[in-house]
Amino acid sequence: MSTTIEHASAFIEGAPPGELADVVADVQALTSEEGDIIPSLAPAFERYNEAQLTTVKLPGSSQEVIVSQFNKVEGNRYFDPESQTSFEIDHITQTASAAQSAPLESQNADLIKSLIKSLGIHAREHYPNCSYGVYPTENDSAVAILLVANRYSPNNFWNGRFRAIYQVPVSSSSTSINGNIHVDVHYYEDGNVSLNTTKPIALSVPSISAESIISRIATAERDYQEELNRAFVAMAEGTFKGLRRQLPITRQKVEWEKVGGYRLGQDISGGKGR
Amino acid sequence: MADQQFDSALDLLRRLNPRDTKKNLNAINSIIPELQEDLLSSVDQPLEVRRCPQTNRDYLLCDYNRDGDSYRSPWSNEFDPPLEDGTVPSEKVRKLEVAANEAFDVYRELYYEGGVGSVYFWDLDDGFAGVVLLKKGVTPGSQSSGEWDSIHVFEATDRARSSHYKLTSTVILHLANQSEALGDMDLSGNMTRQIEADLPVEQGDASHIANVGRLVEDMELKMRNLLRMYSATPSFESGIGNANWSVCDLYRGGLLRQGQGCRG
Repeated sequence: MSTTIEHASAFIEGAPPGELADVVADVQALTSEEGDIIPSLAPAFERYNEAQLTTVKLPGSSQEVIVSQFNKVEGNRYFDPESQTSFEIDHITQTASAAQSAPLESQNADLIKSLIKSLGIHAREHYPNCSYGVYPTENDSAVAILLVANRYSPNNFWNGRFRAIYQVPVSSSSTSINGNIHVDVHYYEDGNVSLNTTKPIALSVPSISAESIISRIATAERDYQEELNRAFVAMAEGTFKGLRRQLPITRQKVEWEKVGGYRLGQDISGGKGR
Repeated sequence: MADQQFDSALDLLRRLNPRDTKKNLNAINSIIPELQEDLLSSVDQPLEVRRCPQTNRDYLLCDYNRDGDSYRSPWSNEFDPPLEDGTVPSEKVRKLEVAANEAFDVYRELYYEGGVGSVYFWDLDDGFAGVVLLKKGVTPGSQSSGEWDSIHVFEATDRARSSHYKLTSTVILHLANQSEALGDMDLSGNMTRQIEADLPVEQGDASHIANVGRLVEDMELKMRNLLRMYSATPSFESGIGNANWSVCDLYRGGLLRQGQGCRG
């Protein structure tokens, strides 16, 4: 039983963007003889939600807010500085409830509010469908800047997620931004193709101001997008060609009547010998 | 119940990262050991290579050249470890198999410029069936690598003056790339496509080789183009429609304003 929970937990945490419910249904079918094991998997759901920056709708609101390790209050309660609300989440069903007013208490409250504003402008410009948040972390000595963009298209058998997670220490001497960008895309029509990328980010900023921080982040995200494009081209033209050519070097398809044991000794495919 | 669990296992393996298929298969087998055999024969995994002791040539391992714990080499027709009464094709079909291996060896050299290939045939009541396997790996830089495995299973059923061919092809691809500017990038996957065709067999066995050869050649070209599309630049809006599952749909880049970016 404990091994089953371990394996099932790994399946939950490995669910691709937008397909958690499908993975849960599969896990339920595979473990049906053990009774309902889903409640025992709550820790795995929590890890999934926090790592994947799951978004939930605040009760009575259409606004989606992020669940992460950076905005956890305690237990299953998280908070959203922008709406100054805290909420309980059911990690398994990914639903929020019991919203409470939660004023932002931080010595960096002004910076956080400006960052939320600048990040919002950046996010709306570049991400068709995204959620973001800025939170005090590290005993209020740093701020975390998060952005997650999802695009689900199950009718076309593909789903994708972009996550950016940055931390900025706040002190007079420190001017650095550290974090990671992750891109995960899954395509599964008559197959299973997965693109996963991780790009560590280390930036310096001239000053701890919302404008300069978001401006550096915007540049880094654009540079990364361009670098990804270059890597795709290099893969398509280099690695891919090295695996299997589109056509033989003769630019002609194989002359099957001339190859093989029935016509041994004859010239094959435009003269390229074996 | 078992059928539903089998379907759920296949669905799960279709969703979880294809890079981890072997690990996930083991995990499913540990939960439901009864599914193991059916799953192993339904889920394609990268092919393993073995050297034929008789001919000193490499060949590929799959369920179709396995008997117990031994595998049959297409070059020597012998099992390794040796088996006294291992299952081998009839004399007629073995002759066809030898010819197909020679033909696909040329094909492999022309398209793959290296790699390993193997063809295995077996008898059917009203024809024959076979599998064409091709494998190639490259490491163009110390930080990047690529692996390609293709598995083409077909049946050829006798008709009056023609033969009916049914081909199921799977390509397993793994591309990894790493650099300071790029970070880590991994594109892994598998894809399966099917085709059926009635083709004339006026020259007997030679026609079979040519027919299967063309079917496999066309299918590999089609699948290569599909997979290449996924690893192609996502920043150009092209006519690939729904399959443009790219990073573009997540990020609207600055390129957009230069008129060559992604769809908004």
